[in-house]
Amino acid sequence: MALSPFGSRSPSMTVHSPNTAIRLRASAVQNSASGPVASAKAAQNGDRELTEQLNIDVRDRYVKDKKLGEGTYAVVYLGHLKHNTSSFVAIKKIKVNAEYKDGLTMDAIREVKYLQELAHPNVIALHDVFSSKDQNLNLVLEFLPGGDLEMLIKDTDIHYGAADIKAWMGMLARGVWFCHENFVLHRDIKPNNLLIAADGEVKLADFGLARSFADPYLNMTHQVITRWYRPPELLYGARQYSGAVDVWSMGMVFAELLLRVPFVAGNTDLDQISKICEAFGTPTEDNWPGVTKLPNYIPTDNGQRIPLSGRDFFMRQFPTAGPVGADLLMSMCALDPRKRSTAVQVLRNNWWTIDPRPTSNEDLPRKSGGTKKMGDDLTRRGGELDEGLFKSAARQLDFGPIK
Amino acid sequence: MASKDATSRRDDDEVCPVCKSSRYLNPDMRFLINPECYHKMCESCVDRIFSGGPSNCPVAGCRKTLRKNKFRKQTFEDIGVEREVDIRRRVMQILNRREEEFDSKRAFDDFLEQREEIIMNLVTRVDVAKTESQLQKYATENMQSIRTNQALEVEEAHSFQARMTLEQEEAKLRRQAARQEYEIERRELQAGREDFLSRLASGSSTDAAAIAREGHKVLLKKSSARRSEEERIRQKQAALRGTEGKRGASGLSSMESAGGPDTGLVKGLRKIKTPEPEKPYDPFMGYVPEKRDYYSLQSYYPSTYLDPIRQDTRMQAGGYDLGEYYSRTLLEAFAGLSCFVGEEISQRDASKPVATEGAAMAATGGENAS
Repeated sequence: MALSPFGSRSPSMTVHSPNTAIRLRASAVQNSASGPVASAKAAQNGDRELTEQLNIDVRDRYVKDKKLGEGTYAVVYLGHLKHNTSSFVAIKKIKVNAEYKDGLTMDAIREVKYLQELAHPNVIALHDVFSSKDQNLNLVLEFLPGGDLEMLIKDTDIHYGAADIKAWMGMLARGVWFCHENFVLHRDIKPNNLLIAADGEVKLADFGLARSFADPYLNMTHQVITRWYRPPELLYGARQYSGAVDVWSMGMVFAELLLRVPFVAGNTDLDQISKICEAFGTPTEDNWPGVTKLPNYIPTDNGQRIPLSGRDFFMRQFPTAGPVGADLLMSMCALDPRKRSTAVQVLRNNWWTIDPRPTSNEDLPRKSGGTKKMGDDLTRRGGELDEGLFKSAARQLDFGPIK
Repeated sequence: MASKDATSRRDDDEVCPVCKSSRYLNPDMRFLINPECYHKMCESCVDRIFSGGPSNCPVAGCRKTLRKNKFRKQTFEDIGVEREVDIRRRVMQILNRREEEFDSKRAFDDFLEQREEIIMNLVTRVDVAKTESQLQKYATENMQSIRTNQALEVEEAHSFQARMTLEQEEAKLRRQAARQEYEIERRELQAGREDFLSRLASGSSTDAAAIAREGHKVLLKKSSARRSEEERIRQKQAALRGTEGKRGASGLSSMESAGGPDTGLVKGLRKIKTPEPEKPYDPFMGYVPEKRDYYSLQSYYPSTYLDPIRQDTRMQAGGYDLGEYYSRTLLEAFAGLSCFVGEEISQRDASKPVATEGAAMAATGGENAS
């Protein structure tokens, strides 16, 4: 992934570079004319003016149209380029938070830090960043009017098949793979962070919990990823983990797409662990060496141990995926993160090439009302569950006949 | 039907030109012709002469070799017409291009004219050898499109037939419904009248007018209700028909992808662009996974700095993978080596004017004008 830092998607950088050069030259001329003391002062002054001017230039390129959604953390507006009224963008204005009196919230910093590095069709594009009055941070994001996957899963009027699921999963897996290839963990993959563009492309959004990984001796928090999509190692409090956490979330999204209800939906973290054990089996030293050493590991009695679910469990539970798809899902849901497929391995599975062929983007099912949904999705803080989400859906899955 | 007319004509004077037997002697005599030379002869002559294999035409001066299986009944009384129709049928079967295969109406008209010219050439025996060879060449070159167009024609004929029968069926149903409706209305009228009379007979004379009015109203209401009900059913049926028709049409249009190269004979054919074969699905969509241009990754690098991690089961259990650390370190060490910022800028600048091609053209146009 040799990406030059210059390959920025921010149009403002390229547009304004000549301007910058002129200003710098002008200040240089000024400096050489006056004495060294004065020049240092002028340079300082010029610098501040320069950054301010750049910010104003960027800000003036966009026009905010209307509010799409508001949350505790951010407000999202629909906007467009000043000179082109048909080029829509979403402007996410981060609220100045009481919690972070001095400085910005971590979410905003993470989002800017990682999104500006990643340019891929399946990752939401960050066009620009500017600050408006009151030092508010504004992120100019790609406008994705197609809503999100959660909306499609929940809408019972929409019917989709194995080919559609394969297309969506393909796009999701590519986005996740690209992040991992560039050593970024998303850490909040769930259907309502998977936004849909006007052309049907699924894009990974909300990088508020993202971070880089693979640093040894640097602990990471285990309080990430929305509970239903959280892998067992995070529930057990692992402080060093890898891309496997995102792959688990991907597997959960896959299962949810197939079942149209969240697959393992616990009410608390403990409940989540027990649900995972019920569905996939109890983690033991045999099937997951070292699991008992994890900080929050909860030992289970020998009598209550549930054996690992094998292929036939996945085949029975997810008949629509087909045998190869069930195998793929099983490899994404391995309890031991070392045995779980990586994003590359997921994409190398031959499920993608066998029948049915993934639906092309223009034929994917879609739903109106996505604009508001995008507003809601972008204002949510990472790792939160929507209140009232899936309230009517059956949360308790019956595994009675399987045991 | 025409053939029946031609043969059933009881012309007693008709004589077979070969065996000279007349219809008077042989009332069941039928005449046959062979499209090779169109000489008429009776059925028994055909049996007699050609049962033993191909033979020469018995008519004096005609040396054509005829085969028995080619003999058939005459359709038109005039042999000239018979021959022209045969030729026309044959040419039309070969030159069976359809209007939608041409670029323009003009091109199609030219094609029709050309076809007519070929037919007339063959009929009037002008340039027969040349025209025949042209036709032959065309037929061999365009075998595929000829076949598909033939299939299309057959299908069209079938669907037309089906539509006709459907329409007839519908008309029959409509007639039946109308008759039924009339019958019901008549019966109801009768019943209403009887009811009205009986009520008049039982009731007092003062409210006779009221009863009469009421009875009339009820009758009206009934008939209007029935009419609206029928209207609804009819609409439903019409909608059903509409969808069926559309389905048929779409089925037909999907068939239309026939065609071939612009051959020498037929000009102005639309260039058929065959749809590009679907590429196999690439899960990576063109991105290359694990692209390492300048280094290869090993599975183990000795390092005292990393040794404690290798022993830490807790980290291992959490899924931490030192391989990822190696990979990231090497990626960061080599990142940007193949990037030339200067080149990227010049490429970007070069690509800019392309976007405003129209403006550039307008500018040069303005220069030329001045």
